[in-house]
Amino acid sequence: MNPSLVQVLERGDIRRGDAFAVAPAPTLASGFARLDAELPGGGWPRGALTELLTEHEGIGELGLLLPALAALTAAGQTVMLIAPPHATHAPAWAAAGIRLEALRLVLPRRPRDALWAAVEALRCGGVAATLLWLDELFRGQLPANSLRRLQVAAGEGGGGAFCFRPAQLAAAASPAPLRLQLQPAGRQLRVQLLKRRGPPARQAILLDIARPADFSPRVSHVVAGTVLPDAADSRRRTRVAA
Amino acid sequence: MAFPTPALACWAGRFTPQVNLAPAALRLEISGSLRLFGGLPALLQRVCEDLAAMDLRAQLAVAATPLAALWLARVGGNVIARDLAATRAALAAVPLTALQLAPPLARRIEGFGLRRIGELLALPRASLGARLGKPFVIDLARALGEIADPQSCFVFPEHFEQGLELPAPVAAAPVLLFAAHRLVAALAGWLAARNSAVREIEWLIDHGHGRTTVLPLAFSAPVYRAERIERVLKERLDALSLSAPALALRLCAPQAEPREARNHALFDGGGQRQEALAELMDRLVARLGPQAVQGLACHADHRPELASRSEPGLPAFRLPALPPRPLWLLNPPEALREVQGRPQRGGALALMAGPERIESGWWDGGDARRDYFIAIDSAGRWLWIFRDPRLPGGWFLHGIFS
Repeated sequence: MNPSLVQVLERGDIRRGDAFAVAPAPTLASGFARLDAELPGGGWPRGALTELLTEHEGIGELGLLLPALAALTAAGQTVMLIAPPHATHAPAWAAAGIRLEALRLVLPRRPRDALWAAVEALRCGGVAATLLWLDELFRGQLPANSLRRLQVAAGEGGGGAFCFRPAQLAAAASPAPLRLQLQPAGRQLRVQLLKRRGPPARQAILLDIARPADFSPRVSHVVAGTVLPDAADSRRRTRVAA
Repeated sequence: MAFPTPALACWAGRFTPQVNLAPAALRLEISGSLRLFGGLPALLQRVCEDLAAMDLRAQLAVAATPLAALWLARVGGNVIARDLAATRAALAAVPLTALQLAPPLARRIEGFGLRRIGELLALPRASLGARLGKPFVIDLARALGEIADPQSCFVFPEHFEQGLELPAPVAAAPVLLFAAHRLVAALAGWLAARNSAVREIEWLIDHGHGRTTVLPLAFSAPVYRAERIERVLKERLDALSLSAPALALRLCAPQAEPREARNHALFDGGGQRQEALAELMDRLVARLGPQAVQGLACHADHRPELASRSEPGLPAFRLPALPPRPLWLLNPPEALREVQGRPQRGGALALMAGPERIESGWWDGGDARRDYFIAIDSAGRWLWIFRDPRLPGGWFLHGIFS
């Protein structure tokens, strides 16, 4: 190779199209070896925005983050949830290995306040990871430039920044350097890397995330079987009452 | 500096605990503070910056004796005389008017044809005493450092309470920040002089006619830096709308506590992170209100809706091993339709596990008897649903596993 070209390639701001970019900051291990292998730097980025796009909530989008969050809180680092979509059920978070003392919830009433709180939390060096649910508050109309502001703020604070967003936005432009689309796949979670610093990911990966039960239709049938007589019983009672 | 106030003396406490509040001057004994501030030029720089930020103009002079410093400042300042020799040299050029002598004495000296201290010092001291009186000669000796000149020190009050009148009525709360700056500077100086910190302070906004808005400001950890206090105040003022224009502002710190010795954690990353987080939390609370910023803790109640608390409650609550619980809880639970004994939500739900009976609360009227199931809907959502065995078809969605 031409020596001057070698020199150019050694520069931090130049990367080859077929190699991962040099990760600017240490990453957070995701707890999933297959995912870490696909992420530049071998884990969730710090100091940069990560978008997690899902069609529906409840498919395991939080389960994907829990191992990393558990590791952070176990090390005494703070994790902040901004405008979470529902009430947090403490026993479940504790059971997932999160040290609750290290968790902070911000529940702004106005969308404007949520965005302000998000920027401040991301900018704060004292927060190791921030989870954001902003699109619903803004009814899908995040103000122009807010993602850019979040990305800049994440760069200042240097923590993990995870933004949960609806899957319709997959095709929209975004300043987030890492964008993942998540889909349910039975017991597993299908993760498609829409965008990353580095070569585009070829195919989706399937991850074994923690699920509350086995995915087995047969079991569900048996369970349903135990339910049905009882349900029928209650219907009988209604008839009697009628 | 025409009217130095106790508030200003408090501010000066930031540089030294030895402050002298003279009728038209503030004197700071800084020899003990030079090292802390990184030398005289750095200290003077900070003094000037603070004064500029408070929009105050002052004539500064540094001298080896209190009286010399006062005289040098009176004639315009901008003099730095670090030792007695330099002080003597600087005083030589000072006009005698700077001494603000009693008129008969001043006239007599003028009659001698003397204009400057230097000319006076050229005369034999014994004859000066005979002609101009002993007190005058003693003052001269004090200024030159020939005899001691102890000053009475400003006594930093036990409780901080300082106020100021606003130059014009202020209608918009954020504008108060500018006036508040002087009071925060005074508080920070007072805290520095007493080596203490505060967890809460109280602002009193006076609207006239006996109406006052009380604005308490609480901090998650003891604070003493002016910048830190102001950043939290800014968020509080930004979120505040005044009921009437403000005419005066008052700042009280009812309770100060001794400042903790700087521990080593402060010097590594951990301490900085802690401090940054504490400040963030304070600002979030100031702007969004205390109910919008919460922690999370488990509470010993079998009813899922009562198992979470927003604040740490009893320490070390040991969790019994529970079957899987959802991260999100719906409050109130969402009623589900039932078709042929199967709960529906966009189609029939597939039950994956259950039932788990949760029975509790009969002792406090919150009676609950529910059979919980883990279910999946057609979109692949993992749901936590329950049925009240006593209510026919009473299926509810209570949580989302996520």
